[in-house]
Amino acid sequence: MERRSAIRNLVVITGGFMLLPSCKNTPGKASVGLKNFKINASQENLLAEIASTIIPATNIAGAKEVGAHLFVLKMVDDMYEKEVQQNFITGLDYLEADAKRQFDQSFANCNADQKQKVLLDIESKKGYSKEVFDFYAIMKQRTIEGYLNSKYVMTNIIKYEFIPSHKYDGYYPVKNL
Amino acid sequence: MGDIKGMVKERTYDAIVIGSGMSGGWAAKEFTEKGLKTLVLERGRDVKHINDYPTASMYPYEFEHLGEMPLGDKKANPIINKCYAYGEDTAHFFVKDKEHPYIQEKPFDWIRGYQVGGRSLMWARATQRWSDFDYEGPARDGFAIDWPIRYKDMAPWYSHVEKFAGISGDRDGLAQLPDGEFLPPFPLNAVEDYFKKKMHEKYEHRHVISERIAHLSKPNPIHLEQGRGQCLSRDLCARGCPLGGYFCSNSSTIPWAAKTGNLTLRPFSVVHSVIYDEQKNKATGVRVIDTNTKEAIEYYAKVIFVNAGALNSNLLLLNSTSRRFPNGFGNDNGLMGKFVAFHNYSARMSAQYDGLKEFTTIGRNPAGGGYMPRFRNLFKQETNFLRGYAAGFSAYRSSGRQSDGVGISFKENLLNPGIGPWKVGSHMMGETIPKETNFVSLDPLQKDDWGIPLLKISVVYDENDEKMKKDYFEQFTEMFTTAGFTNIQLQDSTQNPGIDVHEMGGIRMGADPKTSLLNKWNQLHACKNVYVTDGACMTSTSTQNPSLTFMALTARAADHAMTQLKRGDL
Repeated sequence: MERRSAIRNLVVITGGFMLLPSCKNTPGKASVGLKNFKINASQENLLAEIASTIIPATNIAGAKEVGAHLFVLKMVDDMYEKEVQQNFITGLDYLEADAKRQFDQSFANCNADQKQKVLLDIESKKGYSKEVFDFYAIMKQRTIEGYLNSKYVMTNIIKYEFIPSHKYDGYYPVKNL
Repeated sequence: MGDIKGMVKERTYDAIVIGSGMSGGWAAKEFTEKGLKTLVLERGRDVKHINDYPTASMYPYEFEHLGEMPLGDKKANPIINKCYAYGEDTAHFFVKDKEHPYIQEKPFDWIRGYQVGGRSLMWARATQRWSDFDYEGPARDGFAIDWPIRYKDMAPWYSHVEKFAGISGDRDGLAQLPDGEFLPPFPLNAVEDYFKKKMHEKYEHRHVISERIAHLSKPNPIHLEQGRGQCLSRDLCARGCPLGGYFCSNSSTIPWAAKTGNLTLRPFSVVHSVIYDEQKNKATGVRVIDTNTKEAIEYYAKVIFVNAGALNSNLLLLNSTSRRFPNGFGNDNGLMGKFVAFHNYSARMSAQYDGLKEFTTIGRNPAGGGYMPRFRNLFKQETNFLRGYAAGFSAYRSSGRQSDGVGISFKENLLNPGIGPWKVGSHMMGETIPKETNFVSLDPLQKDDWGIPLLKISVVYDENDEKMKKDYFEQFTEMFTTAGFTNIQLQDSTQNPGIDVHEMGGIRMGADPKTSLLNKWNQLHACKNVYVTDGACMTSTSTQNPSLTFMALTARAADHAMTQLKRGDL
């Protein structure tokens, strides 16, 4: 197995999501199998960078490491109408174009401060188009959802319990939290 | 037809029960326990307790979309997707729109579960007794017809089913919501208790109690004997509970009946019609279509219990025509299918409470919080609408999760959000008035895969429902304000009738054969060995969640049928 796909599988396993890899390991093609819209490898990489800016790696893995951006793609593929899917890609491309205009380089190559500025400006609805806002609303919501529900977070950080370890207590003192 | 005798004998039982859900399971249990050879016919597949709960122990990330239904499914099945309990984790227990179509003459969302256990697998498990404020309601308030029974007729049967099913609750001592045979309650939390106290201070008859629910908070020997264990608050009930922590046919009545050796459970068996014998003036059996082979088979018994689910029981009897019953089995007065009613769940409220910040909740409460029994028009008519509503009331401590921002501090908040203020919520459970104009009927042309006519549903809200909803909003705004809640929000839903999954009526009980279909023992007036004991038999709906009453009516009717059989009267 070549290294690239080994890493990809590792990522997918870490997140624990039910994702199908794309059929062909062609350079330039996205790694996750999509049925309803197309995305190329650099767009996928851009999504990973945005996810990583929203939830960066610290001593705890971030959104990119658990594959949350791939989960986002899966959800965009399966949950939304065609127009929304197209708009998602358009918004992503506009964001990249705006970053290039602002910083003379791809979003992926911007430094952490520049990346954060782009996203924070979008959040405060400054200077970007509607397509970018709409893209970002889905991107952020689904990134958080994918991250918090990833196998990594659910088994290591905020442990998911089928049977709660605490019996229900409706008067639990806040100071004991 | 053309059967040799031996084969007929093989297809003859003491009792036939049509349906294996909430009420059918109870008929099966009661009959088999007393030695009756009983055939239970289920149109869907078998669902074995534990073995057939494939998602029960799946982590959220093991579902393809974390439990959310994809757009393709929503478009293919717009009706079932409206049901709160339908998701990737439970979809296998729900009927898809396309699989079993029906006709919405008026928009009515019919939520079904075609399998052994029926909807008892996915129900919301709230269980409250009716009182005479309910059984006497139609007579006092002049709608529908008088119930042929009163609370005293039902009380011992409520006890009977509660002891076996296992109901947790407080003994609240309320005449309008009689106490039962309770296991320990799931207690109210700090803000639910606070609201209870505030209501008690201001109003004489507005009570907030722990929701009474069919969960084994502390199992008794009878529950352990069923192979069920304590509810450990997994709170994933609709996937099926591997602990048997809540009551469903699959974990309780059906295996109990099977253990007697007297049960024959036949899945994949849709009942086409009930067979009538003109000479004997009796039902002799049922025509079944095997849904796998499409083969038609007849089964025979001395007594037939119809427990197909409220609207399907209507469909089945309307489709059971003969020279004697050209308009449906037992339908001499032409009222079968009419006076269908439901519960109005189309209003919710939410608010915030900034007090009691020293407390939060920990763990999960499967009962979901508090319940307010009906207080409107309870002792006398006092508003411009008939009857009233019960309401859920629950409080939870909100999360301190931020939605704005990116980066390390955003991530830290995401993983350690802390807590926000208390939030409270309420939902209305309104009684609706059965009317002749709310009805179901058979489509004259369209048929399903088994040659059975499609059901047409023509059921809508009325002016009384709108007035009641307005009152709910006004009263709860006043009550929330009294309690010092802020940010009070009204959610007036445009949801269709049916999504409450409490459809009732069409084959109602009553003393007079001219105005009702069933007598006080749930027997068809016109053919005494056919009993209907599911939601179809309901003369009115009251506000309580109805399943407990269906179960008690079924056990009571089964006891009656066995007494009659012994006497040779059936």
